[in-house]
Amino acid sequence: MTRQLSSELLKLRTTRAVAGLLLAAAALTLLGACVEGLSPGSAELVTRDIQRSMFSAGVTAVLFSTLAGLLAVTSEFRYGTIRPTLLVQPRRRVVLAAKLAAGALVGVLFAVVCVAVAFVAGRTILAVRGVDVALEGGDLLPLTLGTVLGSLLGGLIGVAVGALIRNQVGAIVAVAAYAFAVDAVLFAAAPAVGRYLPGKAGDGLAGLPDADLLAPGAGAAVMAAWTLAFVVAAVWRNDHTDV
Amino acid sequence: MAAVLSANGLTKRFGDFTAVRDLTFALEPGCVTGFLGPNGAGKTTTLRMLLGLAEPNAGDARVFGRRYADLERPVTRVGAVLEAADLHPGRTGRDHLRVLARAAGLPPERVREVLALVELTGAADRRAEGYSLGMRQRLALAAALLGDPELLVLDEPGNGLDPEGVRWLRAFLRDFAATGGTVLISSHHLAEVAQTVDRVVVIDHGRLVAESSLRELTESASLEDAFLELTAEPGA
Repeated sequence: MTRQLSSELLKLRTTRAVAGLLLAAAALTLLGACVEGLSPGSAELVTRDIQRSMFSAGVTAVLFSTLAGLLAVTSEFRYGTIRPTLLVQPRRRVVLAAKLAAGALVGVLFAVVCVAVAFVAGRTILAVRGVDVALEGGDLLPLTLGTVLGSLLGGLIGVAVGALIRNQVGAIVAVAAYAFAVDAVLFAAAPAVGRYLPGKAGDGLAGLPDADLLAPGAGAAVMAAWTLAFVVAAVWRNDHTDV
Repeated sequence: MAAVLSANGLTKRFGDFTAVRDLTFALEPGCVTGFLGPNGAGKTTTLRMLLGLAEPNAGDARVFGRRYADLERPVTRVGAVLEAADLHPGRTGRDHLRVLARAAGLPPERVREVLALVELTGAADRRAEGYSLGMRQRLALAAALLGDPELLVLDEPGNGLDPEGVRWLRAFLRDFAATGGTVLISSHHLAEVAQTVDRVVVIDHGRLVAESSLRELTESASLEDAFLELTAEPGA
């Protein structure tokens, strides 16, 4: 298992996909923090909720770690490298477990980088505009550790969904359509239901300021339950399908 | 002692289509065996079942007396190449091998050794997207050799090789068998393996049509005639 994990991590370092996604996630986080921090007037920027929006820009990591997990698995099927992988380690659950662990680590890395970018950008914007930090003590945990946990779970979901769908283009289209359409539309139409979707549960976990979202603790539990469901389905498919 | 590799009543169906039907054969150690049949005969499907990548609907596939997935450190017993194109185009040849060596718990020196063995050291740090088909074949062979296996299973390894590469591969496989290794090499192209193999297993439409020494098969006719006769459509 240690050997397989080491191999999976080396796979991620020897192509440009993960590095590219990390760069994109960091850039979007910076853009998000700037939009949230520069567009409101100074009178609004002093409010806690506007500042929470700005400092939570690192939540971008959740979607991007999901995409990284997705690519880690589907590129093996797209390029056929799953065959040499399974010839070396024919115990498929070991391979899947190593990929899940690698996806979780990528999720943590993405979140640490994105949260750092959001906080440095946010503090800089506040300092330049001469506005005091208005966050409350309880805000910090979801904005930092909540985002890290959400991104870790996002990495796991990405690997699991990749192992379920296998087809790279199909998997990316499915996740993107979900993230940008289903999640947002359902939440807007029926927040009481929509907040239990994996994406919105993650937003609640990461401390986004929206009264309709779940509280961070409940968000963590719901997102973890989704993750478990996807992983169980992925294990089943991984055990039973020819490559 | 168990056969190096054996198929016993192996059957694989894809929906209504039976790709491999009750196929039984075994490999003799120290031999190069040609696994022959026209395109679509079920060769690759058979190899995938033997290597644990596909589950048979009936029968069993064994390597050194066990299911592939039950082998301890399989790469030290079996080296296999199913498709030479099984490479990530953005990864260098060397990194492709490092990834596999790491999963197998093999030392990094082994990567250098196999790169030298297949004469790919000069191109090892280029991304695989720029490799010719022949270079991909060599890299895939290098991956199969990482664990210094006793058995090589190669699916159509001659595809894309230039005449010099074909000659090199032939010499390499003869040498591998001469030092006690066993080789199973599939091909739909008879002339390519006629000078390499000792024995042949011929299948068509998923069924065994011949299992013999090369000499027996070619005694009365040329290998090509024999092959065409064995795989001809009934009544054609």
